[in-house]
This record gives sequence, C-alpha cells and structure tokens, in this order.
Amino acid sequence: MKVALKWLADYIDLPTNDVETIRTAFAALGHEVEGVEYLETDWKDVYVAQVERIRAHPDADKIRLCVVNTGQEKVEVVCGAWNFEEGAKVAFASPGAVLAGGFEIGRRTIRGVESAGMICSEKELGLSEDHVGILVLDADAPIGVELSELVARPDVVFDITVTPNRPDVMSMIGVARELAAYFTVPFHLPPVEPQTVEGETDVRVEILDPSGCYRFVAREVRGATVRPSPFWLQQRLRASGVRPISNVVDVSNYVMLELGQPLHAFDLDKVADQQIVVRRPKPGEKLITLDGVERALVDTDLVVADSERASGLAGTMGGLDSEVTDGTTNVLIEAAAWDPPTVMFMSRRLGLRSEASSRFERGVDPNLAPVAAARATRLLLELAGGESPRGWVDEVAMPHIPGTIELPLAEVSRVLGDDVPTEDVAPLLTRLHLQVAGVDPLEVSVPTFRRDLERPIDLVEEVARLHGYDRFRETVPTGSGGGWSPEQRRRRIVRQTLMGAGLHEALNLSFLGPEDLDSFAYPPEHEARATVRVSNPLNDELGSLRTSLLPGLLRSMRYNFSRGQADVAIFEIGRVFFNHPWDEDKRVPAQPERLGFTVTGILGPVGMNGEGRTADVFTATALWRILAAALDIKDAALVATTAPGFHPGRVAQVLVNGVLIGHVGEIHPVTGKAYQLEGRVAAGELDLAVLTASRPDWLLVEPSVYPRVEFDLAFDAPKEMPAAEIVAAVKAAQPDLTESVEVFDEYRGPGLVEGRKGLALRFVVRAADRTLSGDEIDEVRRSILAAAQAAGVDLRGN
Amino acid sequence: MDLDHLPETVLSEAAAAPDLAALEAIENEFLGRQSSIAEARRQLGKLPAEERPQAGAQLNAITEKVTTAFRARRAELQHLEADKLLRDDQVDVTLEAWRIPQGREHLITQTIQEVCDIFVGLGYRVAEGPEAELGWYNFDALNTPPTHPARLESDTLYLDYGDPADEMLLRTQTSPMQARYMETNDPPVYVVVPGKVYRNEAIDASHLPVFYQIEGLAVDEGITFSDLKGTLAHFAHEYFGPPQRIRLRPHFFPFTEPSAELDVSCFVCDGVGSSCRVCGGSGWLEMAGCGMVHPNVFTAVGYDPAKVTGFAFGMGVERLAMVRHGISNIRHLIENDLRVLEQFRS
Repeated sequence: MKVALKWLADYIDLPTNDVETIRTAFAALGHEVEGVEYLETDWKDVYVAQVERIRAHPDADKIRLCVVNTGQEKVEVVCGAWNFEEGAKVAFASPGAVLAGGFEIGRRTIRGVESAGMICSEKELGLSEDHVGILVLDADAPIGVELSELVARPDVVFDITVTPNRPDVMSMIGVARELAAYFTVPFHLPPVEPQTVEGETDVRVEILDPSGCYRFVAREVRGATVRPSPFWLQQRLRASGVRPISNVVDVSNYVMLELGQPLHAFDLDKVADQQIVVRRPKPGEKLITLDGVERALVDTDLVVADSERASGLAGTMGGLDSEVTDGTTNVLIEAAAWDPPTVMFMSRRLGLRSEASSRFERGVDPNLAPVAAARATRLLLELAGGESPRGWVDEVAMPHIPGTIELPLAEVSRVLGDDVPTEDVAPLLTRLHLQVAGVDPLEVSVPTFRRDLERPIDLVEEVARLHGYDRFRETVPTGSGGGWSPEQRRRRIVRQTLMGAGLHEALNLSFLGPEDLDSFAYPPEHEARATVRVSNPLNDELGSLRTSLLPGLLRSMRYNFSRGQADVAIFEIGRVFFNHPWDEDKRVPAQPERLGFTVTGILGPVGMNGEGRTADVFTATALWRILAAALDIKDAALVATTAPGFHPGRVAQVLVNGVLIGHVGEIHPVTGKAYQLEGRVAAGELDLAVLTASRPDWLLVEPSVYPRVEFDLAFDAPKEMPAAEIVAAVKAAQPDLTESVEVFDEYRGPGLVEGRKGLALRFVVRAADRTLSGDEIDEVRRSILAAAQAAGVDLRGN
Repeated sequence: MDLDHLPETVLSEAAAAPDLAALEAIENEFLGRQSSIAEARRQLGKLPAEERPQAGAQLNAITEKVTTAFRARRAELQHLEADKLLRDDQVDVTLEAWRIPQGREHLITQTIQEVCDIFVGLGYRVAEGPEAELGWYNFDALNTPPTHPARLESDTLYLDYGDPADEMLLRTQTSPMQARYMETNDPPVYVVVPGKVYRNEAIDASHLPVFYQIEGLAVDEGITFSDLKGTLAHFAHEYFGPPQRIRLRPHFFPFTEPSAELDVSCFVCDGVGSSCRVCGGSGWLEMAGCGMVHPNVFTAVGYDPAKVTGFAFGMGVERLAMVRHGISNIRHLIENDLRVLEQFRS
C-alpha cells in the first residue's frame, strides 16, 4: 500500500512530516515500511502556458508550430506531439529552464524554424514514463504560474506492508485512522453524497449465490463523458502506483485507494436488460477478461453476469465486452462485498491477482459498499458530468452488524502483565475508534471495518499495540531443565567422530527423482522405491521424498568433482521417507533419521607427496568401526552381502545385536558413473536411532596388574570364511582370559590347498587375578585350536 | 691430597673434559679404587671411634659433591655429542609434510546448536518432530483455517499419502511441534524445536524449498508479553553480542496474539551506516516472528486457555547464519561445495 503524505493530508492533520517519525509510527502500529519514495520537483522554471494557435510546419509533416501564451509573451515553438488542440493548457519551458535529468532548454532551430522553448511531456518533467504526448493540464490551470504549484511535489510516499488481518488499512482513510490513533489527532472522511436527480434506477440486481456475495450495490451515472482525468487525480494515482486510464476507470481506482472498497464500472448499455446476476459459472462457460484473455471458468468461480452471460469475475477482473470505452455515456458502478476464499481461490487459480482481489481476499467491510458507491458517483458527476438518479440498488444477501466483545480487565493483565495500567485500557481502545462502555468487563462494540476483532484476545493485542510494544519491561522466565536428550547428544558424537576422521558435514534437499532410483538399480519391490510422492513437486528431479541419503551425497560429490576436487569426504544426517506408517506416529509416513557418508580419493593423514590411503571398502568399514567405538556399540558385526548401488563384492551389512541397521561398502562403479564419479567411492548408510539409542552407564574395569602373554597362530581356513567369524570363534574359546585377538595378515597364494587361505592371528591373554602359569597358557592355546577346528579352521602346516 | 679442596678441582677438570671418554678417565682418577677418596675411606677405620662419624660424614659430603659434578657434566657431554650427530637429521619444520585433516560441522548445524544451547541455558528442552506432517498440526491446530492462503499449493508442498482428507504435507514451519509437544506434555512447557521446513519455492539467491527454523515455546501460569520480550532480548544478547538492542513490531500470525516481529539492532553498523551491507541502512535486522500463544491453539491441544498463557517464536536458521557470516547467496548452504564447507569454522 503506497501512501503519499500530501494526499493523506486530506484526511488527517499529521503533527509532523518528519520521515523518520512517521516511519517509526508505522512500525509501532505494525504496518512495516518497505520503502520510502521521495517525489521531487525535477524541473526549474517551467510555467503553465496556453497554446493559442497551431499551424503546420512548412517543411515537416510530423511536427507542428504552436504559438504559446506564457502570460508575459507569446512565442512560437515547434512541437512533435498531437494530443492537444488550440486552447490547451500546457507545461512550457522557456530557454534557460531545466528539465528532469538536468536537461537545459535553449533556442533551437528545428527544420529551419526557430523554437523559443519547449512544451513538455510528463517524462521530460520526471512525472511519469509517459512520452506519447505532451502533458495537457486542466483547463482551469492559471497561466503563468510555476508548474510546481499545480503538482503535489515535493512529496513523500511510504510503501507499507499491510498484514492479512487488516484489509481496512489498505486504504488512505484506514491509514489515516491508524495514524490518528497513534498521534492522537482527529481524522476526517471525505464528502461522500452525490448531487442526484429525481428518479429511480432501471438496474436490477439478483444475488443467486449468497455464500459468495454478501452485498451488491449498483449506482448509475447517465450522460457522462469519458475523457482523461484531471491532472491532480492522475498524479495521486501515479504516486500510488496505478496508471491513469480515463476518468471513469480512474475514479473507481481512486475510491478503492481512498476508502478500500474495490469498484467496477460497466458500460451500462452493454449490460443486457440492465440486469445484474451474481452466480456461479455455467458448465463450460467462458469469459474474455479486460486483458483480452479468454478464461475457462469452473464451478468454484463466481461471476457477475447480465441476463445473458458472464460479464466479469467477481472481485477480480471485469470482462472485455462490458468495458468502459471512450464512447461510453451511461456507467454502472458496482460496489460489492465478496466471500474472501471465493475470490482468493479464483484469482490464484487464474493467476489474476489484482489490487481488487488482494483486498477482497482479506475481507472488505460489507458496509463500506454503499459509502464507496456514493463517493464514486459523486466524483464521477464532478469529473465526467452527467446525472445520477436518486434511486439505487443495495442488495444485501448477508447482513453484517457491529459486534460486541466483553473484555474483563484481568484478561489484559493476564497476558500483558501490569505494564499497561488498568485505567488506560478503555482510552486506548477508544482511540482506535472502538466504542467502549462498562467498567469491568468493558463492553467494546466493534465497527464492521474491524472484522479482525472477534475475541477478547484481539482487543488485548490492540491495547498492547497502541500502548507501544517498546514500553513493555523485559523479564526472563526459566524452565525446569532437560536440555538436549541423550539421543541428541549422542548424535553430536556421531558428527564429531566423523569430523575427526576428516569428513565434512553436508546438507542436501530431501528429494530425489526417478533417475536416482534407476542409478541405484533398486529392484522393483525394494523399499527405496516405495517413495512418498510430492503432489505439486518443484520439478520432476525433485518429485519424491528421498528414501536414501546416498543419491544426494553422490550429487554433492559430483558437484565437487566437476570443480576439480579429487578428495571428497562428506556425511549427512537427515530423514528419509517411506510410503508406510511410522512407528512413532502411525498417522504420518515413516521418516527415520539416517547417517550417510561417501568418500573418494584420499581420506585421513596425507604426506607431502600426496601419500595416504585411497578410499575403498575398508575406509567405509573403518568409519563404521570408529563410530562403533565412539558410541560404545559392542554387539556389532559386519556380514558380506550385496546391496543395490553397492559393489557386489565389497559391501557389508552392519548388524547390531543381530539387527540390520544399514550397509557399508563401495559404491557400484556403474552407479558411480551415473553420477559422473570415477574411481572407488566408499559409502555407508545407517539408521541413526540404533547408533544414538541411549545406553546404561558403564562401570570401570580395574586394569589387571598381572603380565600379559602374547602369541601368534597361523591358520589355514576356507577361502570364503570371513575373518570376523574365525576371530569370533577363537575368542569364544576362553573369553575371560582372551584380552584381544587381531588379524595381522591374510595370505592367498601358492603353498595352500585350493580353496583355502592363510590367516595370521595375534592373541593377547591375561588373567585379572593372577599370573598365568605355563600350563594354563598351553591350555588356552589348546582350547583355541579346538575351537578353530570346530569351525573348520586348521593350524597352518598341520 | 687435600680432600677439602677436592670438589673445586674435580669441577674444573670435569668442565674441561672435551668428551665422554676424557670424562670417564677423570672420573676414574677421582672416584676409582686408586683415588684419594677411596684411600680416605680405607683410612676411616683406623681413626679413633669418636672421630669416625664426623670424618665419615665429611667424606660422604665430598663424595656426593664430586659424584653430582660428574653426573651433570656427563649429561651435558651426552647432549653435545648427540647434537653433533642430530645436525644431519635436521628438517624444515615449516613444511607441511604430514597433514591430518579435520572435517567441519555444517554451518546450519552449528547455528542450531548455538541457538538451542542459549535456550538450554534458560532451562528449555530440545524437541524434534516429523517433517512429513498432517495438515491438522501444520495449520488447523495453529488456528489457520482451511481457506488461509498459506494452504494453497503455490505455497505448501503436499504429499500423495494416505487419506486426502488428512492433507499430508511437508511442514511449512516448525510450529506444528508446538501442538504436538503440548498434546503429549502437560504445562509448564519450555521447549525449543529446531528442524527442516519446506515451501513451494524455486531456488534463487535468497530462497530454498528446504530450509531450517527454530521454534520456541514457553507455556506456564503467569507468562506475559514481558517474558516474551525479555527472553528474545536475552537471546539477541547471547547470539549477537551484549550491545544489541531489540525491537518488537506488531505483526500478524494466526497462532499468536498479540503477535510481533523481532528486530535486532544491526551489529555491523548499529543503525548509523546508511548503506550498510547487512541491514541495508535501516539499522535493524528482522530476525524472528513471535507472539503470545493464541487461545485457540491451547484449546486445540487440550490446554485450558483460562489457566495458562504462553509465548512462541520462530526464527530462520539460514538468516541467523547468513547475517552473521556475511553470506549473501543462500545456495552456499545447500551445494556442499568443499571450498565453502571448509570455511565453516566453529
């Protein structure tokens, strides 16, 4: 909403013109100032003059010679514009005058004729971008006065954002009313009633859909002359960002800006049977709107029709057929109150959001319609002539009467504390043009232009707002603690562990597309294909909610790859979504949190010459192991497997307490290629809940003071038997005495029976309470060998 | 030999020893079996009994001094000799010959952590909730009627899931957790809710379809507007620094009343820079929406609006981070460019 101060002065005597004070007032009232525009007088020495005579230029067809009376002299100038006749009042710049942009006027010879000055266009004066013709001033403009006396400049225009609950402030009087309350000064409405003539109107209005139209007011003006609006009105519209068109259209826009009631003007002669019908569209009905576009209508739309067909979209845009044109003489003014949702859905559906629809969708006071229709009629008679009959149509489908709210004073202090003195409450509400009766509770009657005030809390807000938010004290209540949950704290450990290993945290959008699913070659029944689809996706690539973090991470890898980064190590923690109910709340789709990571190139310590370890499946398993260590997850196992998107020979299931929580491994080269990645990509994706599940406190185990015994054993094992299985088997032989078992070499090659592999294990054994004797150590060794043999593993060389 | 002056002699000779071999020879001379100390020790037994303790003590003291002198000089010579060899082992210590990389936490995560920690310090809990959410929690329970424009497809991303009447959507704000939390917890409630939210927005320099908010909610008996103001002022001091002032401007949100927007005085120009790159010259930075919890919200979650009052606020994590770190393009927060991630210092 653009508010020019000089126009605003019609309704309120502001105690100040200081821009900062007014900006502060708007902010304190809750009408945020988006911008302040300073309208300057960009010219010097431009005077009102009259064109007395026009003759053709002897050597040119497109320009004319005009004799101009400046009040002091008569001079002849050359003019290329044709939008004026003899007698027109114009803005004249004599030699020496300066126009917008510092352009100085001199005597110039144009096609052999000397021009003693210039007749100015609006653009040359900096008034608008209009350069089609020259600026034609009102006929009563006094010759010889400085143009700036006619123009409301300099002026300041505030561009304020009006919150959706305050349609009443989308008008000059609404703004004036608010500022009047703030500055405690009076404000006045403009004169409204038109001079009418005896007679009734032939116009008939029928509201067939009372749910869409609360009230419809129609007034007619007969014998009007359509012509440009006077200069002052054009200036006001322009300052408000509205383009002047003709007096009839301009008046409806002017009254909308002034009072907040959007109006529509019909050419009454094009309204069949002078009959207005408000109804929902008929099946297949179409309407060509003012912008020349044919609109197919649906049954949730609402139209203003005549007896034959739709002639306008309710509160949104008029129809082309009944448009006011230069030849119009009889005008029908419509002032209606529309159902806000109807206008909102229709205007958005058709992509036709206008000044009118933005007001109607917030809700215009239905009782404003007759006032605005009268005001428009009055202005139209002034500016376009003609006459208006005393009789007019006011069809009320749903009456709106002022409401009353009971406000107990305790309710004010309960929400606002004791900062607002009780005795201030009633005066504050009164300042806001509400009528207050009673002592406690206050009986507050609310005018229909404040339809946002329905409950006591609405009044409490008004009290706070006018009292001033900045005057409240600041106090800080505290809660009873709790902070981060154990799971949230453990999630932080996950991050810190991975960061310590050299991975950066990444964040991706939560979407994926069909190409991602194909790149990972998920089989048709795989849960990752059970995506939740977005009904109105941003685009196809982002058409589904992600079922895995890996596609996003691989896209991030590609982004960095294409920018020359060879070593990329990133992880992400976030939700994935599945098309089945969530255990935590069955009403919504499953959306567990996951941890994903992808690593390519060298991860970990790097030497000066780049030496380090290039990521592969063991990078992924190592990252899992440090996570398990950091999070104290003990009953975990890696089991060789295959999984979509992973290298078939280099991926492991991660089992915790026998439950599958995800996979670690290497990305399948074909999948990698789909993301333009080359080389091995280590990756993992794990359910976070298991990792971060809180666990009981641990208790210190006193370190043994007795010596440790270390020995190595070389085994001969079936090739396909995982090392982890062998370690588990031999560890179980003497669990109390076996402190650690570590695989320190794997051998595949000559000297072994086909299908076997060599595995070297280092054992550390120790007792908590004694030094182990030689016999005991022999016994441990024997039981280890027995356990190994039971598992199908022999001692090498046997 | 004069034992009394022996230590001085030893000290000067040991100091003059050029290497460990020479020192060993000298040590042998003064402390070995042929030395005057050894001789004196042998003579002790021949002294009268009453002189023996004193002479013994004196002899021990001298021996101690001599031994100490040798030990010190030996250590000194060992270092000197080692240093001669280590000179060949010298390197340029300014070389980065071995680099141990360190990952960084995403700026969004850091900001969430920092902001939540401020409220944890005030006794708040940190709660999180679902991102795929019911229309009821995202809108209805928050006093946002079915005809509200925010519910249009042009603003909200909807999901093809379950009964269409459930209006399954991607939450457009963290506020639905207000309703969820109150439904499952009795007052008093002091909670902050960080998390991802979604809007139907095309990506540009200042918009993302997926971004982060932090919601705050305090519900108790006797909570007033001053509590809201004081709490946000406390937050602004903690996050932006103590000199920062706050301003609450009246605003409109369906689920709070009175509602306000929180402005924090610009920490770069403090309102004096007319062309400040951070605040654009206004002197204020818009940081959060807030207000007193609307009675309809209490009713929707089964609280008695006559018994409790409360306040709620919501702020954009990206904005908090971008303002503080001079980030003008929001895409930097979602592209995961390593050259950007590496800059996310904590």
